[in-house]
Amino acid sequence: MISTAVNAPPAVAATDVTKVYGSGDAAVHALRGVGVAFARGAFTAIMGPSGSGKSTLMHCLAGLDTVDRGSVMLGDVEITGLSDRQLTRLRRDRIGFVFQSFNLLPTLTAEQNMLLPLELAGRKPDRAWMDHIVATVGLRDRLSHRPSELSGGQQQRVACARALLHRPEVIFADEPTGNLDSRSGTEVLGFLRSSVREMGQTIVMVTHDPVAASFADRVVFLRDGMIRSELARPTPDTVLDALKRLEV
Amino acid sequence: MLKTTLAGLRAHLLRLVLTALAITLGVGFVSGTFVLTDTMRAAVDQQFTASASKISVAVLPTGSSNDVPAALLSRVKKVSGVQDAQGLVLGSAPLIGKDGKAYGDAGTAGVSISTGALQRYRIKPGRPPSGPGEVVLDTKTARRAGYKVGDRVSVLDKQGRVHSFTVSGLVDFGVDQEVAYRGGVGFTAATATAMTGEHGYAEIDVKAAPGTSDAALRDAVAQAVGGSYEVLTSAKLADRLARSSGLSTSDLSVFFLAFAIVALFVAALVIYNTFNILIAQRTREMALLRCVGATRAQVFRGVLAEAMVVGLAASALGVLAGVGLGAGGAALFASADDTSVGSVTVSATPVVVGLVVGLIVTLVAALLPARAATRVPPVAALRSQMEGRVKGRAGIIRMVLGSPLVLAGLLIIALALGSEAGQQPFVMVLAGGMMVFLGVIALSPFIVGGLSGVVGWLPARLLGVPGRLARENAGRNPKRAAITTIALTIGVTLMTTFSVALASTQATATAKLAEQFPVDYQLTTVGDQLIPRQAAAALRTKPQLSDVIEVRNADDARLDGEDTLVGTVAGHALGRSIKPEIVAGSITDLGPGTVALHEDTAKSFGVGVGRQMTLTNGSQRLSLRVVAVFSGETPTPEVTINEADFDRTFGPKNDSEVYVKAKKGVSTDVSSRVVEDATKAYPMVKVGSLADMKEQLTKAVDQLFVLVGALLGLAIIISLIGIANTLTLSVFERTRESALLRALGLTRSGLRWMLSLEAVIMAVIGALLGVVLGAGFGWAAISAVLDGVVLGFPIVRIIAFIVVAGLAGLLAAVVPSRRAAKASIVASLASD
Repeated sequence: MISTAVNAPPAVAATDVTKVYGSGDAAVHALRGVGVAFARGAFTAIMGPSGSGKSTLMHCLAGLDTVDRGSVMLGDVEITGLSDRQLTRLRRDRIGFVFQSFNLLPTLTAEQNMLLPLELAGRKPDRAWMDHIVATVGLRDRLSHRPSELSGGQQQRVACARALLHRPEVIFADEPTGNLDSRSGTEVLGFLRSSVREMGQTIVMVTHDPVAASFADRVVFLRDGMIRSELARPTPDTVLDALKRLEV
Repeated sequence: MLKTTLAGLRAHLLRLVLTALAITLGVGFVSGTFVLTDTMRAAVDQQFTASASKISVAVLPTGSSNDVPAALLSRVKKVSGVQDAQGLVLGSAPLIGKDGKAYGDAGTAGVSISTGALQRYRIKPGRPPSGPGEVVLDTKTARRAGYKVGDRVSVLDKQGRVHSFTVSGLVDFGVDQEVAYRGGVGFTAATATAMTGEHGYAEIDVKAAPGTSDAALRDAVAQAVGGSYEVLTSAKLADRLARSSGLSTSDLSVFFLAFAIVALFVAALVIYNTFNILIAQRTREMALLRCVGATRAQVFRGVLAEAMVVGLAASALGVLAGVGLGAGGAALFASADDTSVGSVTVSATPVVVGLVVGLIVTLVAALLPARAATRVPPVAALRSQMEGRVKGRAGIIRMVLGSPLVLAGLLIIALALGSEAGQQPFVMVLAGGMMVFLGVIALSPFIVGGLSGVVGWLPARLLGVPGRLARENAGRNPKRAAITTIALTIGVTLMTTFSVALASTQATATAKLAEQFPVDYQLTTVGDQLIPRQAAAALRTKPQLSDVIEVRNADDARLDGEDTLVGTVAGHALGRSIKPEIVAGSITDLGPGTVALHEDTAKSFGVGVGRQMTLTNGSQRLSLRVVAVFSGETPTPEVTINEADFDRTFGPKNDSEVYVKAKKGVSTDVSSRVVEDATKAYPMVKVGSLADMKEQLTKAVDQLFVLVGALLGLAIIISLIGIANTLTLSVFERTRESALLRALGLTRSGLRWMLSLEAVIMAVIGALLGVVLGAGFGWAAISAVLDGVVLGFPIVRIIAFIVVAGLAGLLAAVVPSRRAAKASIVASLASD
């Protein structure tokens, strides 16, 4: 049950995406014609050394940043060229986010944080779904706490719950375990993987940790703004090997 | 460190410009006040000197007597060394305006114009009056009444007879404040005496013969007139006149400086907040400085040096602005007063005081932030950005300090209100009010934190997520929000105190007018003229009027041996048409041999109902029994006796005042025309209506409000700069939070709304707090000075304060919220 159908259209796809920061001598080519597709219901990791462009790629895929050339499709919507207002609406309706740090609004309780995207969209939460997710992340007795009263792992689980709650077409996770100890990290990753397995969620995760990547169904490797290789059904060892080959 | 300081200044130029503006405005106010009063004083001094230089010596009456007897003039003239001496007549000579009624409220003054070398006034255009058929008019009077040189004008004499004159010229009486207020007509000396009916002189002016010094002449004249008169040289006279008028300019500067201090205090709060903001923004920069070896003392000095540069530059600009403000203010006063203003006088005072005050205020306000900067540990340079605190802890010290202050202040105010109205309770209210306000400042983090939830309730309900987040954010750092809002609260409190006190004064006056002045029209005269009895008789024949009440006064009576004003109310009006508040006894049908006294008079004589008193007028002697004591503002004379007793004792006098009531159902238009028509024949009679009085009162109150509002407006503008600054810091601190919200689907306009609402909530809290405090202070203050006060609450004005404050908050948020909305999400998420 890795993917629903081999020929189904991908959840997210980038075609020949190029992104340059700065100009002249100072120009940095963050992405040089990246083409990659992410299947529905799959858990994909993007890896690469620092400066490889993996975060930039994620930002472009999620409509947080604009591309200089090429196109990004979210389902059947071409998101390059959308206005800021349209992009904002697209993000809150169809995309979920989990960031490395600072995922939650400090003034809101855990529950309010989870409901934020729905409320921004003016939608009512599905209570049964909400109960299911809260139970899954194990935060029932923490709902009325503010982020400052939660541990790092708990905060990140709130962020995951928030991302899942409005059933987005795709969740983008940017180094979701980067700030966590290994036990909390494993919990979060297990939770992400089970949401793919059991809820059919599509997840794209940027990471530099081979262990984290091994939770994914597939790993895409980036270097110098280009896709270099990929790996299916990764384990920490095969990911490490692939990374070593990437350096060469 | 200096180089680093200067580099820091350049980098944060915009923020500092706003801060500097706060200082500049405050300092401008202070310097402007000095420039204004200096300029006005210089103009006045110049006039006095010019006026007094024409004479050598002046003879003035001393305390006990009001004038210099005419006989003295011939004695002065005989003193050797006197070239010329002339008496200055000053009395009442009402000029009749083009409407057939006496000009002005008090009737114009009649003044003699001296001749020859002693002619001290500037006459332009035209020439001095040369005979009994000519007059000169005060320039301002002529302009306002619409007369020019060559016109025929009518002037009333002491007996109320009309005399006709030709205007031979316009005169500037200059510095004489009485003439400036009443308006003036200048006659030849003989005509002035005849018209005003004055027997003596207000002053005798003496010119020294060539070769005689002023001082020598002064001694000679002093010897001739004896000890009961004051003899001054012209220099002394000019000095004294200038000083007595200087008193009013120093009152003026005290008045303005009070507002300037308020503005500066608010500016200090804004500066304090801004430096806190700058330090917070540069935590890492400070930490880096510490990392590379800067000591705490160096960091501290660096921040203070920055404050000093900003304070000096802003104060210098403020002094310049002050010169402009002062010059503008002087021109404004001159135009309101119909006089011309001399050149702007800038002494050292406004420059030095402005610079010193601006610098000290800035340095003091920057002291605490600078200390906070020294507490930044070097390791902070390596940490990622500290997120904006969710809830700042408001210290227990504030509770311990604030609560007793508020309670003690309230207790003092309660004590003041419990005692009889007067100056002492007012001072107590003032002190109590200040204690309450200081206490509220100490407690403000608690109050503002609590209020943000209340004020934010509506936007949170109505405006969805941005509204709710704005409410949360406004209460997020109560200490900072408190300082920001208190700056606004100060201005609004004073504004509300003032408008509530004004409204209460107005309400009280209106209520008293309606209650004790149940009349529609009041006939008065100008100067010391009386109303011929025929006027009241003519009014009585009008079917549209129901009551005509005549009040007569005599000022040459003695009651139990003391000089007292005695009066009577003609007919049977007392207790029927005029109902003064009765303290004891009954005033209705005041019979022969009885007297009614005002409470104050009764107190000063130490008598009550039933006591016998003796009234004497020359050889006339009347024994009176006190039958009533009354109180309040009332047309009833303070010592009122029976009409027949009055006529027998003082002879048939004319009316001092006449009160008229219209019949029920007669429209104001009709009744006012009837009264006007009936009194047309008496130019000295002025008709006032209750409606007019109320309107005049309202107008006066509104004018006062506009003046004070404009002066306090500056403090409010400065506090808005503070709101903008605080919001900018919040935006900066929450860069990543805002980016997260944007990533999760908050639109740009949603983010802008959220920040704008936060500013609005802060502004409304500040205004609400100010309105509550101000209303309390205003009511307490007015109750402390007036007994039986009717409390007013200018609801429209108060609501306007809150609405305007909210809108101003919106305005203050424009720049910071736009900047936040424009920021790139990716860059902001990555920033640390």
